[in-house]
Amino acid sequence: MLDLIDDKAQQTEVVLSVSDLTRTFPGVRAVDAVSFSVRRGTVHCLVGENGAGKSTLVKMLTGALRPTSGAMRINGAEYDPTNPQDARQCGIATLFQELHVVDELTVLENLTLGMERSRFGFLVRSDLEDRVVSTLKAIEPSIDPAARVSSLSVAQKQIVEISRAASSGASVIIMDEPTAALSEREVDRLFAVIRRLRAAAVTVIYISHKLDEIFALGGFVTVLRDGKHIATRPLAEVAGRAALIEMMIGRTVFQSYTPRDGVGDEIILTARGLTNGVLRDVSFDIRQGEIVGFYGLVGAGKTEIARALFGVDRFAGSVTFKGRPVGNSPKGAIASGVALVPEERRTQGLFTSLTIRENIPVMNLRRMSRAGIYRKAEEIAAATDFVRRLRISTDSINKRAEKLSGGNQQKVVLAKCLFSEAELLLLDEPTRGVDVGAKSEIYDIIRDLADAGNSIAVFSSELDEALGLCDRIFLLFSGRLQAVVVNGPDVDVAHVLHVVTGGTEGTVE
Amino acid sequence: MSSIAEGFPPAAKNRDRRLSDEAFITILVGAVAVGLFLVASLLVPNFFQFQNMVNLVTNNWAVISLGVGVTFLLVSGNFDLSVGGVVALSGVLSVWLAQAAGGANPLSTGLGLPYPLAVAGALGGALAIGALNALFVVQFRVPSIIVTLGTMMLARGVAQVITHGSQRNTNLPVEFGVLGNLTVFGASIKLPVVLMAALLIAAVFIEKKTVFGRITYWVGSNPVAATLSGIDRARHVARLYLFSATIAGVVGVLLASEFKSGYSNRGTLMEFDALVIALLGGVAIAGGFGSVLGMFFGAIILAIVTSAATGLVLSPDWQYTLKAIAVFLAIMTQTWALARRNR
Amino acid sequence: MIAMADASNLTPHAKARGGRTAEFLRNYYIYFVLIAVVALLSTANLDKFGLFERGNFLNQYNIINFLRVSAPILTISAAFTLLMVSGHIDLSVGSAMSLSAVVYALLAINGAPFLAAFAITVVLGVALGAINGFLVVRLRITPVIATLITLSLYKGVALLLVEDGVSAIKSGGGQSMPGWINDYGRDGAFLSLPAAFWVAVGVTIVLMIAQDRSLLGKYAVATGGNPTAARLAGINTGRIVFVLYVIVGATAALAGVARASFMSLGDPLSGDGMELTAILVVLLGGTAFSGGEGRVLRSFVGALIVMALTVGMLTIVPAYYQTLVIGAALLAAAASNHLVSRKGRSQ
Repeated sequence: MLDLIDDKAQQTEVVLSVSDLTRTFPGVRAVDAVSFSVRRGTVHCLVGENGAGKSTLVKMLTGALRPTSGAMRINGAEYDPTNPQDARQCGIATLFQELHVVDELTVLENLTLGMERSRFGFLVRSDLEDRVVSTLKAIEPSIDPAARVSSLSVAQKQIVEISRAASSGASVIIMDEPTAALSEREVDRLFAVIRRLRAAAVTVIYISHKLDEIFALGGFVTVLRDGKHIATRPLAEVAGRAALIEMMIGRTVFQSYTPRDGVGDEIILTARGLTNGVLRDVSFDIRQGEIVGFYGLVGAGKTEIARALFGVDRFAGSVTFKGRPVGNSPKGAIASGVALVPEERRTQGLFTSLTIRENIPVMNLRRMSRAGIYRKAEEIAAATDFVRRLRISTDSINKRAEKLSGGNQQKVVLAKCLFSEAELLLLDEPTRGVDVGAKSEIYDIIRDLADAGNSIAVFSSELDEALGLCDRIFLLFSGRLQAVVVNGPDVDVAHVLHVVTGGTEGTVE
Repeated sequence: MSSIAEGFPPAAKNRDRRLSDEAFITILVGAVAVGLFLVASLLVPNFFQFQNMVNLVTNNWAVISLGVGVTFLLVSGNFDLSVGGVVALSGVLSVWLAQAAGGANPLSTGLGLPYPLAVAGALGGALAIGALNALFVVQFRVPSIIVTLGTMMLARGVAQVITHGSQRNTNLPVEFGVLGNLTVFGASIKLPVVLMAALLIAAVFIEKKTVFGRITYWVGSNPVAATLSGIDRARHVARLYLFSATIAGVVGVLLASEFKSGYSNRGTLMEFDALVIALLGGVAIAGGFGSVLGMFFGAIILAIVTSAATGLVLSPDWQYTLKAIAVFLAIMTQTWALARRNR
Repeated sequence: MIAMADASNLTPHAKARGGRTAEFLRNYYIYFVLIAVVALLSTANLDKFGLFERGNFLNQYNIINFLRVSAPILTISAAFTLLMVSGHIDLSVGSAMSLSAVVYALLAINGAPFLAAFAITVVLGVALGAINGFLVVRLRITPVIATLITLSLYKGVALLLVEDGVSAIKSGGGQSMPGWINDYGRDGAFLSLPAAFWVAVGVTIVLMIAQDRSLLGKYAVATGGNPTAARLAGINTGRIVFVLYVIVGATAALAGVARASFMSLGDPLSGDGMELTAILVVLLGGTAFSGGEGRVLRSFVGALIVMALTVGMLTIVPAYYQTLVIGAALLAAAASNHLVSRKGRSQ
């Protein structure tokens, strides 16, 4: 399967091309007339800030979303997948962050899953087994085909999935942030695999924010910005990280940050030496009335900090809130005046089967009750009030939360936290999956809250959000707090991107 | 320090008239119950009588009472199939503990405790089963359906051991038969029925008006979000299992008193009927949706269907088939009605 | 996210070593339990129990008796395991078994030849399984509820087939069971064991092979282990689940035939509680309730253990201890499954 082909010949042939590809959502052109082509047997990196349109593009390539207009071609033929299986059959396989291997089967059984030869429903041995095993051996000799997948590490499972894709005849493998959960050594091994795939004429579309990885892999890079195609170039012709960052930002104007004067001097929260499975000795302070941002890539440790402050995960180190240690449970944290808007709205934040009204009071039962008796009038009043103030668009507070749009659902979760009367709000990706209109409304709410004297911590992987909203920004990379930036008109955006993408000479204040 | 919630002015006057989906389903189920009653009255001779209406409820007081605990647990996202077994266990325990010591044979020899103590012991046995349910579901995270199937057999098994597989009904103090046979309102309504009514009212109150009731919905709707919102899920589910076991224990004691016997097969399939009426009443097994009132209407529907069917031409053997068809139709209708309403 | 990061910090070696003890426990404990139970019964003094021949539990008469009453659960457990592996459950097996027993007895008493009665009953079982499959796969009713509905339905129909006031289809009232009624489930066919037992063994062997060597067996694991991955690989998971329900239905019918033939009657309650025994048996065999894990052979051994306990218990304690022991065993099996899988994961 993995035969070596002459480098020069293959690299001129186009395997995948998109032309004028556009996808619009209400109010946004997420991908806007993007055209570029990918050559066979190359590594093709896709970069851009969050919100630049990468994930929408990938969803169209894998059949999870249909383009609004434009065309895609693979191996010279029209390509219009309607679902991921379709995409696989046309030769595009995707390595998602959530791995699609069956833990209970062996490596070999996973490699042949769905491709088996059979007679009367019974499996027949064929050259398929030899073929997939030799592909696996070529990619990573250390994995035993007879081992159960449950005994493998995440990195090894990824490699199993990659060799499955390679042996099923995929000509393009899309890898979406594949290194987020890998150790450094495992990343090296993955890169070796990618090079072998390239040598075997398999094309890898590699999506990552970690710029060092992109330069290490070489090949081509396509830069997206605000849904538009900015450039596609051989990486050899890109003059270093700074130049790449320049292309990604491409502008000097960010969502305008106006310095706020509500920030007090009193330090409300002190964290010292937070360390656990992900975090490495993270220390910081948050002041009263301040909006601080924690900015970093996927896997940099943002969510882990939020969960540690909120008493969900265990950690070494100390956190004091208003002079006292925070509780070691969400219940304790809420009681001491901290509230969290979690990362995953539908699975962690929202009570989808309940109405808007019933969602809101959960974090403040003391206010909702007298001697155990629930104050429904209060609930109705609160819900009605929040629907109006947060502009939750619904015809009724008695509507089930699952029927609302993403932005409105997020506002309900926000309302839930606001009702807790917390003095420190932890907002983990507060505008993920939220439309532009609702986004700016949520930003206004956050500023109002801070102006009223509350402290807010925003955990974000969107640069625009961090720069537009926060008074100070903590930059994270791989579990470490690398630098602190005081926001203002003269923030060096390139430097920020440099630090969070793994740049080495980060300065800590 | 200004708090966030106080940063907002008081609420505007509420003019919201939309029913929640849950109220909608409850009303739907109630309407079906009334509709069925009218249809049955037209078709079945002698169906439309006051006594008959009363009987629809009074004949089912035990299952409806058990349905309360089962409904709360379903709303919290958990099954309780142990209630029938607990009914048998507590009834048998109350008999065994109250039987005079030193009878003629093993089955007529008890511990000779005063009746109140016997009842306390019976309820203790019921609570022990509830505690086991809580331990396995909350602590060991075994699926509740498997746990409660196991405790169902365990409870009934202990009852069978105590009664040697049959029943104990001799050597009982006179006061044993009082509770279950006491009548009120001119000898037409038994005390257990009054207790059931009181339980229903209390349950609706708890469900709609207390923090405890509301927490049940939060836990069932999204356990993770509930925990992240400061709810102690484990403790709440444990309390619900104890609550349900207590109800089943009381039902068992009352039934034993009514029949003046401890029969180890009493309450067989009651767990199933309690589940059936909850499903008929629109309680979703996914959790976070349903109501005690709906369960009550579900019980009425089932009672009308079975009694009307037997009043017509069908033999009592039709009851299983009718239950199956009723649950199937109820689930399909409710799914369809909700999808249509929220289209 | 956090779990992923944690896993990547473990070296594969350490993980494999921790998992190996758990793996060994999972794979072989069941055989030790069976040996222990049999050894215990062999030492028990059977002389004072009328149920058994004098002497050792392990004499021919006792073993034959034990194996032929075990035929129904042995027949069901293999298919039930595969269904659980795919992440689904069937609470209606007991009722399907009862209904099949009644239908088989009805056919027999009304003069149908053995083969016709047998074939028709198995086809009925297939249809009952197909109804379950339809409710779960097509109408998307949760498996627990769907099969609870059919539990009630099949049992109801079985009761209706038996005339009012009569407890079972049996000889009497001018009708009598044909002479061959005991041939299948009671009389020795080979090695003094009845055909029903050999059918149970045959079904188990076929499904054992199917588990390891057929698309169905492999896709059942994939469906229960990671449904998204299975669908992405182009597997029609709905069809797999449907076929598994049908197979369970067919084995329930075989069990019903075995029971009716053993008892010479069609009892509409004969399958009551079979779903519980089946769950107990597969849990004892180490099948995970969450799907993905489980071995047909181990469930077979689990069934032998449960039956040995049930039968053997009669030598030690009165019959009314049975429910208690089965309930306790179910809880113990569930708890030990939990502990073993927890160990495998946390190390």
